[in-house]
Amino acid sequence: MRPPFRGDPLSQIGAALLVVLIVTSLVGSTAHVFGSPTALGGAPLSAPAAGHPLGTDQLGRSVLARTVAGIDQTIVLATAAVVIAAAIGSLLGMLAGYLKGIGDDIVSRCADALFSFPAIVLAIMISAMFRPGSATAIAAVVIVTLPVMVRVVRAATLMVAEQDFVIQARIAEAGLGRILAMHIFPNVAGTIIVQMAYSISFGMIIESGVSFLGLGVQPPGASLGSLLYEGRVYLSVAPWLVFVPGVVLALTILSVNLVGDGLRQVIDPLLE
Amino acid sequence: MTALLRFAARRLASAALTLLLVSVLIFAAIHWLPGSYADVFLGALSTPQAKAQLEEKFGLNRPLPVQYVKWISAAAHGDFGISLSTQQPVAAEFAVRLPVTAQLAVMAAAIALTVGVPLGIVGGLVTRPRVLHGFLRLFGSFAMSVPDFVIGSLLLYLISRHSLGFRLGAWIPLSADLAGNLRTAIVPAGALAALGIGFIMTAARHAAISIRGAPWVVAATARGQSTSMIIRQHIVKNAAIPVVTVAAIYLGYMLGGTAIIESLFTIPGIGRFVLQAVSIRDYPVVQAGVLIAATVFIALNLAADIVYAALDPRIRSKASP
Amino acid sequence: MTPALEVRGLVMEYRSRRGRVRALDGIDFAAAAGEAVGIVGESGSGKSTLGAAIGRLPVAGVQHVSGEVLIGGVGIFGLDEPALRALRRSRLGFVFQDPIGTLDPTMKVGRQVAAVVDGSADRGVVDGILTDVGLVDVRHVAQSYPHELSGGMAQRVAIGMAMARRPGIIVADEPTAALDASIKVQILDLLVSRCRDSDAVLILLSHDLHAVRTRTRRILVMYGGRIVEAGETATVLDRPRHPYTAALLRSAVGREAPGGCVEPIAGVPPASAERQDSCAFAPRCVYVIDRCRSVRPEARHVAQRDAACHRADEALDLEGAP
Repeated sequence: MRPPFRGDPLSQIGAALLVVLIVTSLVGSTAHVFGSPTALGGAPLSAPAAGHPLGTDQLGRSVLARTVAGIDQTIVLATAAVVIAAAIGSLLGMLAGYLKGIGDDIVSRCADALFSFPAIVLAIMISAMFRPGSATAIAAVVIVTLPVMVRVVRAATLMVAEQDFVIQARIAEAGLGRILAMHIFPNVAGTIIVQMAYSISFGMIIESGVSFLGLGVQPPGASLGSLLYEGRVYLSVAPWLVFVPGVVLALTILSVNLVGDGLRQVIDPLLE
Repeated sequence: MTALLRFAARRLASAALTLLLVSVLIFAAIHWLPGSYADVFLGALSTPQAKAQLEEKFGLNRPLPVQYVKWISAAAHGDFGISLSTQQPVAAEFAVRLPVTAQLAVMAAAIALTVGVPLGIVGGLVTRPRVLHGFLRLFGSFAMSVPDFVIGSLLLYLISRHSLGFRLGAWIPLSADLAGNLRTAIVPAGALAALGIGFIMTAARHAAISIRGAPWVVAATARGQSTSMIIRQHIVKNAAIPVVTVAAIYLGYMLGGTAIIESLFTIPGIGRFVLQAVSIRDYPVVQAGVLIAATVFIALNLAADIVYAALDPRIRSKASP
Repeated sequence: MTPALEVRGLVMEYRSRRGRVRALDGIDFAAAAGEAVGIVGESGSGKSTLGAAIGRLPVAGVQHVSGEVLIGGVGIFGLDEPALRALRRSRLGFVFQDPIGTLDPTMKVGRQVAAVVDGSADRGVVDGILTDVGLVDVRHVAQSYPHELSGGMAQRVAIGMAMARRPGIIVADEPTAALDASIKVQILDLLVSRCRDSDAVLILLSHDLHAVRTRTRRILVMYGGRIVEAGETATVLDRPRHPYTAALLRSAVGREAPGGCVEPIAGVPPASAERQDSCAFAPRCVYVIDRCRSVRPEARHVAQRDAACHRADEALDLEGAP
């Protein structure tokens, strides 16, 4: 099998890093290879040492185990939210871009309105509306991602809709659903995928921000952001509680960004 | 000039409409919050009669659209109600904290622009050595990947250990002591700036790359213009367009985005105040804060669009987007 | 007497993530002052690469491998940057396919024209250039932005800018491809007459055989990065001696006999990294013999033109386009 992103070493590194992170978190979550995230194994707030390679937190749980569980939650929450937002947003975007007219105006207006909130402000507002928890974090990411998806898909649809094969399909009186599914969608799918990659990385920033404020994932559950929330008070005595999840979070987001760059090069190459 | 004015007028009307929709969204969202206004206000003293009295007094039993109109028309006059926690007018509380947040945002934007633009343009134009090109791209991606609170925590730890001449904790107002103020502000502004450096650098880089291959650059080379002259006369102006757009969006983003950094560094800005209001359910503050953040964001986007049109004559002639 | 333009054994490579391809595979030709030379061939034949190479213009991914381009006897691939720029300013002029795209969209047209004549703010000079290319209301044109002009007007501006310094060589790469049919003729006439007036070489790259036929004296037919047939335009197009030339003529729209068909050429142009020991057109040629696949045909002077075909001296039944 040819390696993906041939000729683009940065994206290859990003993809490799992402694979490592995903495999680690899957193995860690299912088989507890790195220890149990809930077991109160060692002395609280102990520095990294032989028994616990990354130290323990305020309740004596292994930081390594919790971080691995955190990777899992961070990726899963962001991905789930983006998939939902992409599904809804793509449908709305395609309809708006293809049908145009008053429906397009309404959809675009609403997307612009949502887009007018600084993302973190919107996320905080959404999170404040519901009880703190993972579902809230997902809701926040969905609402933040939706307008971007609608905009991007609408723009791509506008370009595709003008092309000859679509006009031909209309002349042949193909139904709306058929045109969208067979002609529009395959041509905007690439754009959707690239945007999903970037939205997942941004979604992870938003989710971790919300969880960092205590409004998202709650203990004993763990996402990388919520681990930062828990560890922040102990920053001066046990800095590893913040740095380990923090560095891992940065690397996770970076790897998704690089993969997104690589995908974009494949779909729509820049003159690099 | 008139094409520009007409464009500006169209965009202004569009922005006003969006703002209206935004205010409706905020109002609806807040009124969906669990726990009624009256319960929170009265706290332990809540009895059915007291609650009914309060609701009558604040007009909370009127139909929602009426309440909305009351709220929005008061807001248009600068009256955002009373904070449930401090009992002071919300507008006054914001006014006191605004300079702090504004200073942070402006400093962060300034850092992001001065670092991000040249790095981005260089990164886009320089193709050899490949290592440099790749490194700059990686740096840009990395800067966009690290959440500001992670950098903030790192810096916080660093400075609390080895002060390096910076101060943390107590905020010193600009008017009181310039040096002290800057020492306190530079670290959180730096944490905020990291994300901006990433965004602006990447935008500048993409702009430079696409311009590098543009037909008119090739034509300019064919006419014997030197690379530095092409950069000066053509590329900077054309690259400024997407960069200005991104910078405006980033500035607007930060007016909400300072919330997390302000909490982390305990800085008395608007963001931290609104965040605290969220946790104690101080609705008037939350409502006003989100509305103001959205308004500023819309205003900055509008400004960016107009600057864009001023720089690129093709935009002025296009019909409203 | 030194030819105004000479290309010797030029080999250029296109390098991408997917590999290397020979964009130009050994080009030899020369042009004298005042000559109008047409270069034709389908997409991928290398004619645009050749046009850019004449000015050593940077094209993404294209690298010089060997050979030389001599302008007034001076080899351009050995020049340093300042000398190259001076050469481009004084001896060369380029006209490209997308007239509006070749102008900076954020700058008024007048300023850009002035920049070509050393930024002289003298309106008279700018107006003079614009009038010379047949524009009327030149003040208005000078005050406009590129996107406000029509394609034809913008191309006139481009021609004016290209000829402002009276260069000895003009390279026009599909100058009318993006223009309406009615404008094409005017622009080509303008180009040809201005070059004739200033005794400049005109290199006209085009896929429009009819345009080339009426306006050039010599023609080069390119395929797969090589010149397959070269000679006087009328000779080559009336009685082609290379199967590709004939195929090109047959596939050209507008020349069919009543009841006849436009015949596209089956297959795709070649793309290879190394010098091939075969004829580039062999896979698509209906007259192919074994020799074509194992020996690379070199240009031979046959019937008053040069043709790179093993069967050039046979009187193959190749139809021309009278």
